[in-house]
Amino acid sequence: MLSSIFEFLFKHQRLVFEQGDFGFGATRFMSLAALVAGVAAVYVVWTYRRLAAVPRRDRAALVGMRIALVAIVLFALMQPMLRLKVAVPQENFVGILLDDSRSMQVADHNNGPRSGFIQEQLGRPDAPLLTELGKRFQLRVFRFSSSAERLQSTGDLKFEGTGTRMGEALDRARDELSGLPVAGLVLVSDGADNSETTLDEAIAGLKSQAMPVFSVGVGRERLTRDVQVTRVETPRRALKGSSLVIDVVVTQTGYAGTKVPLIVEDDGRMVSTQDITLPRDGEAETLHVRFKVSDIGPRTIRFRIPVQGQEEVAQNNQRDALIDVYNRREKILYLEGEPRPEAKFVRQATDEDDNLQVVLLQRTAEATVSVPDKYLRLGVDSGEELINGFPATREELFGYRGIILGSVEASAFTPDQQRMLEDFVDVRGGSLLALGGGRSFAEGGWAGTPLSDALPVVLDPGSRGPQYPPAELVVRQSRTGENHPATQITDKPEEAPAKWRDLPPLTSLNPVTEVKPGATVLLTGVPARGTEQVVLAFQRYGRGKSIVMPVQDTWMWRMHAKMDLKDQTHHTFWQRLVRWVVDGVPDRVMASVSPDRVQRGEPVTITAEVSDPEYKGINDGRITASVTSPSGKVENVPMEWTVEHDGEYRARFTPSEDGLHKVNVGGAAKDGRDVGKGAVNLRVAPSDAEYFDAAMRAPLLRRVAEETEGRFFRADETSRLVDAITFSGKGITVVEEKELWDMPIILMLLLGLMGGEWMFRRSRGLA
Amino acid sequence: MTIRRLRLVLGLAIVVAASVIATPSAQRGYSQSYSGNVRYDGKFVFVRLSYPWYGGRGAPWAHDWPRGEEHFLKIFSEITSVQMHVTESSIMSLSDPDLFKFPVAYMAEPGFWGMGDEETRNLKNYLLKGGFLILDDFRNRDWGNVDLNFSKMFPQGQWVDLDASHPIFHSFFEINSLDIIPQAYDAGRPIFRGMYLDNDPNKRMFVVAAYNTDMSEFWEWSDRGYAPIDVTNEAYKIGINLFMYGITH
Repeated sequence: MLSSIFEFLFKHQRLVFEQGDFGFGATRFMSLAALVAGVAAVYVVWTYRRLAAVPRRDRAALVGMRIALVAIVLFALMQPMLRLKVAVPQENFVGILLDDSRSMQVADHNNGPRSGFIQEQLGRPDAPLLTELGKRFQLRVFRFSSSAERLQSTGDLKFEGTGTRMGEALDRARDELSGLPVAGLVLVSDGADNSETTLDEAIAGLKSQAMPVFSVGVGRERLTRDVQVTRVETPRRALKGSSLVIDVVVTQTGYAGTKVPLIVEDDGRMVSTQDITLPRDGEAETLHVRFKVSDIGPRTIRFRIPVQGQEEVAQNNQRDALIDVYNRREKILYLEGEPRPEAKFVRQATDEDDNLQVVLLQRTAEATVSVPDKYLRLGVDSGEELINGFPATREELFGYRGIILGSVEASAFTPDQQRMLEDFVDVRGGSLLALGGGRSFAEGGWAGTPLSDALPVVLDPGSRGPQYPPAELVVRQSRTGENHPATQITDKPEEAPAKWRDLPPLTSLNPVTEVKPGATVLLTGVPARGTEQVVLAFQRYGRGKSIVMPVQDTWMWRMHAKMDLKDQTHHTFWQRLVRWVVDGVPDRVMASVSPDRVQRGEPVTITAEVSDPEYKGINDGRITASVTSPSGKVENVPMEWTVEHDGEYRARFTPSEDGLHKVNVGGAAKDGRDVGKGAVNLRVAPSDAEYFDAAMRAPLLRRVAEETEGRFFRADETSRLVDAITFSGKGITVVEEKELWDMPIILMLLLGLMGGEWMFRRSRGLA
Repeated sequence: MTIRRLRLVLGLAIVVAASVIATPSAQRGYSQSYSGNVRYDGKFVFVRLSYPWYGGRGAPWAHDWPRGEEHFLKIFSEITSVQMHVTESSIMSLSDPDLFKFPVAYMAEPGFWGMGDEETRNLKNYLLKGGFLILDDFRNRDWGNVDLNFSKMFPQGQWVDLDASHPIFHSFFEINSLDIIPQAYDAGRPIFRGMYLDNDPNKRMFVVAAYNTDMSEFWEWSDRGYAPIDVTNEAYKIGINLFMYGITH
């Protein structure tokens, strides 16, 4: 409507004004006309000055109108015009890129699928838009989804592509049309690009060859009725029996406030369900889903919300994640500097977990001048293990996956052993949990030691040792702790607040109140007097994580008189805490694939980090990735040391079968020693990415158009598309002049001003 | 156990004995220094269990109190790295909820031990949650009373005679033969019996009964020459092992 009015008033469409260069046709006449206009203006002012009887304001109005009248006449006499570069008909090429992906099946274009626009406007030889384009340009039509190719017939479009890679499509069209006079590219898509790379390079290539893109966005920018499981963050590996807390991000439109179940399925078997209330339209809600992984092997975990009535996209109501559930006993070294109940109860809790082996090295007597420290060893694999106390070599210490440091003073370790503790976290990537006690933290002289650098809390170097009586702390979860796997003491999250409230207080001899930047506090303790203290906090440090729990008697959560005999809080807490301690701790050979889900024919990068027993990277090894496909075919892919990082090897592999692939990595070091083995799983399946964030992405399409000096159109605005390409100035063009002096707006202004002056005079009695 | 550490124990026993003899309370022959239980602060506390007694003279549960624990704690603290209250100890009834803050408890003369329903329930919970009980100073027909009380708590519970290979005899000192355990009474060999969770020797042992002997008798009189130092020394060793086992297992 507005554009029609504009075109009526200004004779040409807006596009012509935007693309054209403004100028005047009567150059010689212009100076004479200006002189005459100036004289006329002076005369006007002079004549009105004589009218002393007319009020000043009225005179100003009359002068203004008369001057405007003269100016418009002068403007018209100067023959204003627009100069445009117009594409020469049939001398230029236009590439048409048609989105052939699944998301074009979404039914949000004129009550039909998005593909309907392509079928109607471009799908037949006599389709209107195709015909209009064909009248002026030589056309080259491409289809694209995961790949792009020339299209002989638009009837070949299936709209079943499992990806949208606009960048590759634009590159392909540019390459094919390179060297030809190109007026522009027409990109017809919903813009739901889901490639791994950005469009920056594709856009730069188009700019360098002056190829404008005229993008046509099909579909609505916002779906009206849709529920989407937007993101699921799962670990790639999990120890058998682990209770996982997974963040699931849900978005929706049209169902705000509706209660729906969020279902978790392990290879089709339901393992968890919880009712959720859908957030407001367009808002993302992060939900914390809890479930246990009990079956070993690669597990496909599905997070699903049942399809609601009248949903526009049903396929985005579920997300799959692959978790490799492994089964082994994780070995943790627990060093306790004094016999105390904490260690005994920790072992009681963890002994009930078949996947945990807490080896206790408990000092029962301190060294004298002639006798070394005396230790009690529990849970060791052999009589030789830890026979000489705390490990003296990195190789021995790094054999454990976690360390629990009880109440033991810093001076119990040699300087090298203290560095080993730090390296255990930093280099080996293990986890260290420091417990409270009279010999722990600052009270145990740990301030200023290498380990203190790794800890997530600040130790007071001026500590005067443990102060009795200890602080009694009522333990509370922090906001982060409410949804952290280590601090889940109930199976049902709604029962957790009451459970935490009812737990007996713990005591602490280590007043730790300050955490380092980057540390995360999971539990805090509130004393009767004084400031809130840290009860459980952690931080990433190097490759591993360090954790502190500066309390001395979590066993009260088992023994205290108020705890029911059947209450499993203490055992649950410690089992989950220790499982978290060893979670993510690397092996000597760590294999990974990126991405972990691809489609058949898509390459995947296999990366392996290979370390020696001291967890120093092994370079120049003969490392091989052995990929076993679902049919049993084994393909050995040699891996190359990347040189960028010690011990890092890479290889590329392109699967040719759908299904789960097992990637085993192994080999030998330069000196022939076996480096060990690592494994990872790779899913090869058609991608469902097309159904996620499936609304038309106008900003992306607009960006591609504007950065290449093209123009963005919505599907229902394409009537000016052909003109836009015609006037783009690209390709073989001729200059066309569009006169403006006869625009209706000029005549209307002249008549309006004259009529206005006459009416003004009449109203003032001057006529 | 090294020769050097044995010598150290011996030496310490003598030193402790000498120092105790020199204290005024010891010179009175019987200490009456009890002034209330020790408040929980995380350190080990020697907890002696009391039970109802309506007879004359001193209550049996208090036999060897307080000098038995006074002497034992001095040795225990000198020899081991257990953080403890050395000069204080506690006496608790089986119905005391504070008992649950001290996971190792000691009872003397269980042959005279009796308990009501509340005490039975409390002690059973204490043991099942993770507490450890040491029974000492009883003989002959006393066993029947111990067995009766335990059958109230654990009707299916079975006592198991422990031999020298049991970890309790290696929790601190290496006691490789039970023949060295001194006999405080008139006849028979000391016998150590335990009871396991679910009668499963692979699970936790929650009670040990030092039957037919009296360790604390040796501790109490270790400053009076009641028994040879070597014999007293063995009583300290077995006591330390029992308590160490209770703290660590």
